[in-house]
Amino acid sequence: MTPSPDSSLFLLGTSHQVANLNERESIALPSDSIDSFYRGLQELDGLKECLVLNTCNRTEIYGAAEDNLKIEVVSNYLAEFRDLDPEFMIQKTYRRAGPEVVRHLFEVASGIDSQMVGETEILGQLKKAYDDASERAFTGKVLNRLFQKSFQAAKWARTNTGISRGQVNLGNVLCELARRIFGQVGQCRVLVVGAGEVAEGALEAFKSRGSEAITVTGRTFDWCPLSRRKPDELAQKFDGFTLAYSKLHDSLHLFDVVLASTASAKALLTHKQVEVAMKKRPSKPLFVIDASVPRNVEEAASTVENVYLYNMDDVSAIANENLQSRLAEVERCRTALSKRALRLWEQMRAQPSLPS
Amino acid sequence: MNLNDVTSLLWIATFCFGISFVLGMVKTRHSFPYGLQECPFILIVIGFFLQTRALYLRGIEVHGCPLGNGLERTQFILWSLILAFLLLRLVWQLNLLGTFCAGASLLLGSLSLGLKDWDAPYWKAEGYTRLFQDPWIELHASLAIFSYGLFCLLAVVSIMYLSQRQTLLSRKPGFLGPFLPPIQELEVAAFRLLAVGVTFLSLSMVVGTMHWTRHPEFVSQTKLAVTSALWIGYLVLLGMRMSNRLYGSRFAKWTIALFAIALLSLSLVSSKQKKQAFHALPLQPLALNLR
Repeated sequence: MTPSPDSSLFLLGTSHQVANLNERESIALPSDSIDSFYRGLQELDGLKECLVLNTCNRTEIYGAAEDNLKIEVVSNYLAEFRDLDPEFMIQKTYRRAGPEVVRHLFEVASGIDSQMVGETEILGQLKKAYDDASERAFTGKVLNRLFQKSFQAAKWARTNTGISRGQVNLGNVLCELARRIFGQVGQCRVLVVGAGEVAEGALEAFKSRGSEAITVTGRTFDWCPLSRRKPDELAQKFDGFTLAYSKLHDSLHLFDVVLASTASAKALLTHKQVEVAMKKRPSKPLFVIDASVPRNVEEAASTVENVYLYNMDDVSAIANENLQSRLAEVERCRTALSKRALRLWEQMRAQPSLPS
Repeated sequence: MNLNDVTSLLWIATFCFGISFVLGMVKTRHSFPYGLQECPFILIVIGFFLQTRALYLRGIEVHGCPLGNGLERTQFILWSLILAFLLLRLVWQLNLLGTFCAGASLLLGSLSLGLKDWDAPYWKAEGYTRLFQDPWIELHASLAIFSYGLFCLLAVVSIMYLSQRQTLLSRKPGFLGPFLPPIQELEVAAFRLLAVGVTFLSLSMVVGTMHWTRHPEFVSQTKLAVTSALWIGYLVLLGMRMSNRLYGSRFAKWTIALFAIALLSLSLVSSKQKKQAFHALPLQPLALNLR
């Protein structure tokens, strides 16, 4: 797979920009079929290098080929492989060539083409896809250089623009607030009252940041009407502990983060109860998240010194504000990346072994 | 630019702190190009060296630790503040703390340099030999002023604590909130700074008491009352914090209030003999001496 001067760069792909979830699912490659897909690609006449990026939100094939290889050939191969109508492929995929591929890849790597603008997970997925293709020896001078440069561009974008500033996922917003209160989120002792979906999402975020001391309690250890999940199941899922609800108020001072997510119609934590708990930990802050509607924590509890009470409206407002702030940075980032992409493309063209 | 002129050096240092403060604040919202990221910190270091050289030159001029007038005492406190920040930064990577320290240095430094009367040339008085005749009292003064530097840093940390707390209570992302250190760490840092500051102030009081018992005639009642009140004030604050009777925002507000009182009382901590000598100088109405 040695590139020659007349090779050309192309991209065939689909993402949330052009296809809905069902359509993306029909195009996405099952993980156990990647090997056979690569083998089939290799047999396409004129293809010199290729790389497949296959994530839950996008499926993309990057390639360097001789001029005689038409992108329709790759599209037809994918359609045939996934048993799809070629017309459907035309409608639900995008095709790029030359400098447009470089620009697109830079945008994907930096996260501005992601559904959640500025997310960083895509860079890891891109690196994994690149490592995978390299190990199979499907990448060469063209794609090696292109992807290495895209990783640099992504790093540059995150450092020099505000596209990743502020958390936009509710669980991550809660973790960010916990970081601003306690510093090390992993050291926080987390108590969840109830087993609602918000609680589960928040616990996933805390767990991913190293939280070990997770405790779950509930008014009953029966099904939670919000999530159809039992509190002890939630505790089990996150390797946590369960606490008898009768001990909630006496144990409140032992926790740093308390998340209430129940369907209770009355307040489970009153101002008085929080005040009593804080007397046992006066100089240590307490972060209380009320993810219930109607609310489970009396608003007056926020007046107790060192108590930081947030409800879901507050958290959503922060997430939305952060997202707006990111979106405002996207255009600036896109313009800068476009210039970098063009520069790289000109450098690549100047070298005889790279695409025309 | 004369690098041998004390006032010029201090102005340049203040300018460096000012630029560092502005860049530090801008940096919280906009990323700097690679290579310029450390600009605010480098400016603080440059300002610190210039300030050190200025105080060194003044020290040679007055034959002792330069603590003879309002300008010198303020600059020495600010020098201690920056020194404490630089030491703290070795173990605690807090760029925004540096920005806040630079802001405090800009404000107080400009004030001390702007008030011409604060830099009365007491060393030019007839018969002046040196600022401190007794090395113990020089140690007392320098320890006390260094502890003021630590209390200044404590006040800066408390301002950061209150800013972070206010942002968290407002339940909005806020301008500075995401870039400020965690509230619990700020509280711990404030407690430690208070403990270290009280230790230095206590050492200074011990040395000062030794001098006072031997030469009570040099220590005015006002100085005795003010320094003792401040020392007791900080001791009480430390005791209340240790016993968890005062914490959180009220503790932060008290540290700021006590430091403001300490700053305002600087002009009262002078001694009798030098005050009398100083009154002989018609052009230096505010020069204060620490004999």
